[in-house]
Amino acid sequence: MAHIHKLLSRPLRRLWRGLREWCGDAAYEQYLRSKSAKTPNLPTLKAAEFYLEQLNRKYSRPNRCC
Amino acid sequence: MKRFLSTAVWIALAILAAGALGAIALQRGERLNALWFVVAAVCCYLLAFRFYSAFIAAKLLSLDDTRATPAERRDDGRDFVPTNKWVLFGHHFAAIAGPGPLVGPTLAAQFGYLPGTIWLIVGAAFAGCVQDFVILFFSIRRDGKSLGQMAREEVSERGGFIAQLAILAIMTILLAVIGLVVVNALKSSPWATFTLATTIPIAMLLGLYLRFVRPGRVLEASLMGVALVMFAVVAGQWVADSPAWASAFTLSGIALAVVIMIYGFAASALPVWLLLAPRDYLCAFIKAGAIFSLAAGILLVRPQVLMPPVTRFVDGTGPVFAGKIFPFCFITIACGAISGFHSLIASGTTPKMILRESHSRLIGYGAMLLESFVGIMAMVAACAMTPGVYFAINSPPSIVGNTAEAAATTISNWGFILQPETMTNLAHSVGEITLWNRAGGAPSLAVGMAQIFSNTIGGPRLLSIWYHFAIMFEALFILTVLDAGTRVGRFMIQELGGRVWKAFGRTSWMPSVLISSALIVGLWGYFLYQGVIDPLGGVNLLWPLFGIGNQLLASVALVLATTILLKMGKLRWIWVTLVPMICLVSATMTASYQKIFSPIPRLGFLAGANAMAVQLASGNIPSEKIGETHRLIFNSRVDAGVTALFALMVAVLIVEAVIQWTAILSGRRKATLQETPYVATQWADTFSGAAHGDD
Repeated sequence: MAHIHKLLSRPLRRLWRGLREWCGDAAYEQYLRSKSAKTPNLPTLKAAEFYLEQLNRKYSRPNRCC
Repeated sequence: MKRFLSTAVWIALAILAAGALGAIALQRGERLNALWFVVAAVCCYLLAFRFYSAFIAAKLLSLDDTRATPAERRDDGRDFVPTNKWVLFGHHFAAIAGPGPLVGPTLAAQFGYLPGTIWLIVGAAFAGCVQDFVILFFSIRRDGKSLGQMAREEVSERGGFIAQLAILAIMTILLAVIGLVVVNALKSSPWATFTLATTIPIAMLLGLYLRFVRPGRVLEASLMGVALVMFAVVAGQWVADSPAWASAFTLSGIALAVVIMIYGFAASALPVWLLLAPRDYLCAFIKAGAIFSLAAGILLVRPQVLMPPVTRFVDGTGPVFAGKIFPFCFITIACGAISGFHSLIASGTTPKMILRESHSRLIGYGAMLLESFVGIMAMVAACAMTPGVYFAINSPPSIVGNTAEAAATTISNWGFILQPETMTNLAHSVGEITLWNRAGGAPSLAVGMAQIFSNTIGGPRLLSIWYHFAIMFEALFILTVLDAGTRVGRFMIQELGGRVWKAFGRTSWMPSVLISSALIVGLWGYFLYQGVIDPLGGVNLLWPLFGIGNQLLASVALVLATTILLKMGKLRWIWVTLVPMICLVSATMTASYQKIFSPIPRLGFLAGANAMAVQLASGNIPSEKIGETHRLIFNSRVDAGVTALFALMVAVLIVEAVIQWTAILSGRRKATLQETPYVATQWADTFSGAAHGDD
C-alpha cells in the first residue's frame, strides 16, 4: 500500500498542480513567486487586488477563439 | 537497436495511416466504421508532428533553447508567467478551441464525409499548424507582440493598420454568425433556452463568490458552477413539461436575437469579474469534459458512418449552403483546418508564458492538431446520423418545402430516404417540439453527440438529457466567445476612436464604454438580425462570409510569416508558408468573387438582390412583404460590399508585402528583422517550470 502511495503521489501532485495552473487557481501564487512581486520598490498586491487586476488585463485582448 | 525499433514503429504508423486513409477514400457499398477516421487522423497527426514540425523547427525557425524567452526575461507574474509546457498546451488549446471546428465540419458534411475529412487532416498538417507554430515563434522572438504590431513593424505601417481593421471587421461577422448558431439552437426550445438562461445567474453567483468570498479560488468555484449547470440541464426538462413555464421560455428567432444582443452589451459594459470571467471559467471545464467524453464515446460506440463519401451537392446545389466543393468546402471547414483567429492567440497570451523556444513546437503545432481532431469528431458525429435526418435538420423550408411531408419527399428524392414520422419521433425522443429547419450545425451535432453518448451511458431513455447537455455545451461555448469577443471589439473601437478623440480612448470612461459597447453590439447585431430574417436560414448567408473573413485573416498571418522568413534569409524553405498562403488566397478570393458576382441568386449577393428586385418590380411580392423584401435587397448589397472590403484589405496587404519582398530580393532594401536581442537563458537545461511549483 505504502509502495503504491509512493508511486502515485508524485504524478498525482503534478497533475493537481497542473490543473490548478491551467484553470487559473494558482495565478496568485505564481505572481508571488515572480520577479515583480519580489521587487522592493513595487507594492505587492493582495489576493483580491491581484484577482481583479488580472481579469481586467486578460479580458481586454483576444483570449478566446472561434 | 533503439534506432531500428523507432524506425520500424514510424514505418508501421505510416502504413497504418495509408491503410486507414485508403479505407475511408475507397470504401464503397459497405458501411464504414468511424474508428477508421480516428485511426487515419491520429496516425497522420503523429507523423506530421514527428517529421514535418521537426523539419520546420530545425530548418525554418532554428529554435534555440539557449535563448531566454520573454517569460524568463520579464517574469512579472501577470502577463509574463513562465509556465510548464503541458499546462501551457492546455491553456493554448482552451483558447483556440471554439465552436468553429464543431460547426464547420458539420455543415461541410453536406458534401459527404470524404472532402471535409481530407481537408481537416491535410489542411491542419500543412497550413493551420504551420501558421500557429510560426506566428507563435515570431511573437516569442518579439517579446510577445501582437499580429497587428508585427505586421506594422515587419511589413509596413499601412499593413499593420489594415490588419487591425481586418481583425475588427472579421470579428463582427464572427460574432454575428455564432449568435445565429445559438438562435437556431434555442429557437422554440424551452428546455435549451431555460438551461442556457440559467447559466447567467450561475456565472454571476460564481463571480460574487470569487470576488468577495474566496478571491481567485477558481477551481472550487468552477466545480460548484459545473454541478449547478448540470442540475440546470436536468431541470430544463421540468420546465419543458410545464405548459406555463414552457411558454415563458419559448422564444422566436427575433426575440432570441434581441436577448443575445442585450446579453452581449451587458457582458461588455459590466465589470468583467461579475459575468464574463466566471462564465469563462465554467466553460473551460465543460468544454474539456465534453470534448474528452465525445472522444471516449466514439471509441466505445464505434458508430457506423451512414453519410456517403461524396454527395451530389459537390455541384454547388447543396441545401445547407450554396457553392461548389471548391472553394466552399475550404471556406466552410475553416477553423478545423486553418483559422486566422489562432494567430491572434499565438501572438497574444501564449508567447508571454512559454518557458523555452522548443516548447512552441508542441504548443503551436500540437494544439492545432488537437483542434483538427475535434473537427474530425464533429464530422463523425454528423455523418453517423441518417443522412435524411441530417438534411432535414439543416435545410431551410424555402428549399425543401414548408410541410413535413413535402420536406420528406424532397429529401427522399435526393436519394436520402426519410419518413416524416422519423423526424417527429426523433424530436420527441430528444425532448424538442421540432427538429425541422434548425440550420446552424448545433442541433444536428447535438443529435449526433446525443446518439453516441446515449449508446455509451443510459440508452434511449437518456437521449433527451444528452441532447440538451450537448446543446448547452455548444451554446455555452459560443456565448463565451460572443461576450469575450464583444468586449475585445469594444476595446478596439475605443482604441480607434481614441486616435480621433483622446477621451474616447480611455477604457474606463463610462460614456465611452457605453457608446463603444453599443457600437460593437450594433454592428454584429445588424448582421445577426439579417441572418435571423433571411428566408434561406441565415447560415447560407453568414457562415461563408465568416469563413472568408477567417481564412483571409489566416492569409494575413501567412503573408507576415513569409515576409519574416524572407528577412531571415530562409528563401530555400519559403514554400512552407508561401504555398499554403497561395492556396488560401486562391480559395478565399475565388469564394469572395463568387459570393459577390455569381449569377446564381442563392450564391451571389448581387444576383440575389437583383432577383428580389425583379420580383418586386413585377408585383409578385405580397404587399405585407414589400418592406421586408426592400430590407433583404439592401442587406444583400451590404454583404456584397463587406465581402469586397475583406478581399480589398487583404489584396492591399499582399501588394505591400510583395513590394517589400521584391525590394529585399533585388537588394534594393536591407532585410532588417525587428527581433529582441539575444539574451542567454539563466535556467538550467532541466528546468521545466517545476521551480515555480511545489516540488
